[in-house]
Amino acid sequence: MNPRAVWAVAKAQFREFWRTPEAVFWTYGFPLVMTVVLGFAFGPKPPDPVPIAVVVADPAAADSDPLVAVLRHDARLSVEVLDAAAADRALVRGRVGLLVHGSVAEPVVRADPTRPEAQLAGLVVARALRDARDGPGVAIAQEVEDRPGSRYIDFLVPGLIGLNLLGAGMWGFGFNLVQMRTQNLLRRLSVTPLTRGEFLLGYLMGRFVLVIPEAIVIALFGVLLWGVPFRGSWLAFLLVVAVGGFAFAGLGCLLASRARTTEGVAGLMNLCQLPMWMLGGVFFANENLRGPMRWAAEALPLTHINRALRDVMLEPGSVLDIAVPLAGLGLFAALCFGLGLRLFRWQ
Amino acid sequence: MSGAAASPAIELRGLRKTYRKGRQTVTAVDGLDLRVERGEVFGLLGPNGAGKTTTVEICEGITAPDGGQVQILGRQWRTGVDTEIRSAIGVCLQETKFHDKQTVRETLELFAALFARGRSVDEVLGLVSLQEKAGARQKDLSGGQRQRLAVATALLGAPELLFLDEPTTGLDPQSRRQLWEVVREFQRGGGTVLLTTHYMEEAHQLCDRVAVVDQGKVIALGSPDELIRSLGAAHFVECDVDDFAGKLGEQELRALPGVQACTFAPTRAELTVASVHTTVPALLELLDARAVALRDLATRHATLEDVFVSLTGRHLREGA
Repeated sequence: MNPRAVWAVAKAQFREFWRTPEAVFWTYGFPLVMTVVLGFAFGPKPPDPVPIAVVVADPAAADSDPLVAVLRHDARLSVEVLDAAAADRALVRGRVGLLVHGSVAEPVVRADPTRPEAQLAGLVVARALRDARDGPGVAIAQEVEDRPGSRYIDFLVPGLIGLNLLGAGMWGFGFNLVQMRTQNLLRRLSVTPLTRGEFLLGYLMGRFVLVIPEAIVIALFGVLLWGVPFRGSWLAFLLVVAVGGFAFAGLGCLLASRARTTEGVAGLMNLCQLPMWMLGGVFFANENLRGPMRWAAEALPLTHINRALRDVMLEPGSVLDIAVPLAGLGLFAALCFGLGLRLFRWQ
Repeated sequence: MSGAAASPAIELRGLRKTYRKGRQTVTAVDGLDLRVERGEVFGLLGPNGAGKTTTVEICEGITAPDGGQVQILGRQWRTGVDTEIRSAIGVCLQETKFHDKQTVRETLELFAALFARGRSVDEVLGLVSLQEKAGARQKDLSGGQRQRLAVATALLGAPELLFLDEPTTGLDPQSRRQLWEVVREFQRGGGTVLLTTHYMEEAHQLCDRVAVVDQGKVIALGSPDELIRSLGAAHFVECDVDDFAGKLGEQELRALPGVQACTFAPTRAELTVASVHTTVPALLELLDARAVALRDLATRHATLEDVFVSLTGRHLREGA
């Protein structure tokens, strides 16, 4: 091994990095900002209570139910009291990780053990029930939730479709556009009669035809392989995918409207993607978040896309049921494209 | 439109452009004047960094000047006629990477669609002799073929005015000649060409007129032959000897018949002469008489390179 050669390669790499200001910022500046923001969000404070639901025949009479009283008494739990149908729905939408029914003496918990928050909820419920009795712990009967539609996989697949729309918008639209700019291809196109509007519209169309089939493939995969239910309207599903894909394509184009380096646009894309990965309701429900985190989650387009996808896949949602989020997403897309078109630079 | 038709292809007056590079301000174009007539092949000749590319990009409407007047085919950029100008010009940038995975024909079809009217893809393929490569992908083309494809995209709109920014840089001599033929053919069809180059031979072979550009200004203008004649001498005589010291001085060489200038070193002299046949016999006679041993004697025609050296004291290409 030639140490001079190794050293020379190392030096060249370091210089290359150091002389790309975008790379330096996104490597040092951005993680620092993230650390501060996340530090405030998840910093030292008591843990959020664990959301569970108690299933009763008549929620109006819940106050006299000793099981409800025991669980409500425990500050580590956030207890909803629901009838069977509403409880199933809460579990489907990931709003609660675990259902409890039965009585204080003979409690039964119901959950899908593959759901990340189910384990924790189970432990906290067991502690609460034990603490309520001074004697030995009570035996808790476990029911495994494995009905299609109520499992974690059913929750996950719509989220993954949403995540895919996000990725397609960022990489397919944003990143690729900047690559064309760095290769001088945009500059070459700019000296022809082609207008910015014509270019962006054509660019969008050419890339967009790939987005919808991709979402359909994932949905079919989930339905055929894992038995994920599809209870709503396919038309509504296609509309969510189209409008959602359009929203992220718009965001991608906006981020790429001026970036001159792929490092620069990749940084901007990370800035937008990270909060959506974390708070967009892909892997866990964001309805349980509290305070500023909840507001942030509600502000993310991915939250509304995922919610609408679950409305039409896990529940019998129709076009009408998702009209409001669709309108909002359409508006968001239009804003992104409008701004992107204004800011767009050929070079 | 009759006024526009009678106007020169390009008219630049007092063109200025400065760039910020970090904390420094770099003047790329510094009060440049230029007039390119319709139907001529006009060359901007100068070293790297002389402001050639900036000037061309201002003409192409890519860059806005900080000051001065620009008229392209009788029209001005940013006065609502940009699309009209773009329909009438063809541009070959210094470096463009087309889509890697598209064939020559597909790339040309894309650009053909951008113009309301123009030449057919097949016609342009013929113009640049790429018919056999029509089905080849961009990534499988040689440097010369890529460059001809770039020129082909510029010809699709049947432009009146063609911009070629260093079209043959990095090409082998044969590819270079092929491209020259494309340019000549375009001119025979009535087109005007503005090209930049730092190859003297290219400017001499191809251009009706040349503007020598240095530090953002035009420092000489004329046909290549006019510029060379302006040196006052068309030939150089270079002689290498063992040693002039103590035997022969610079003044005596200058006094030889027909010598107009002389650069002198202990073992080498370069004479600028009007005619080789009067100076060389006298030179050989003088060397013989002083017993200076001649190692090598060479004569050559003056080139545009010599014009540049005589104007600036520097060579066009560093190290040349």
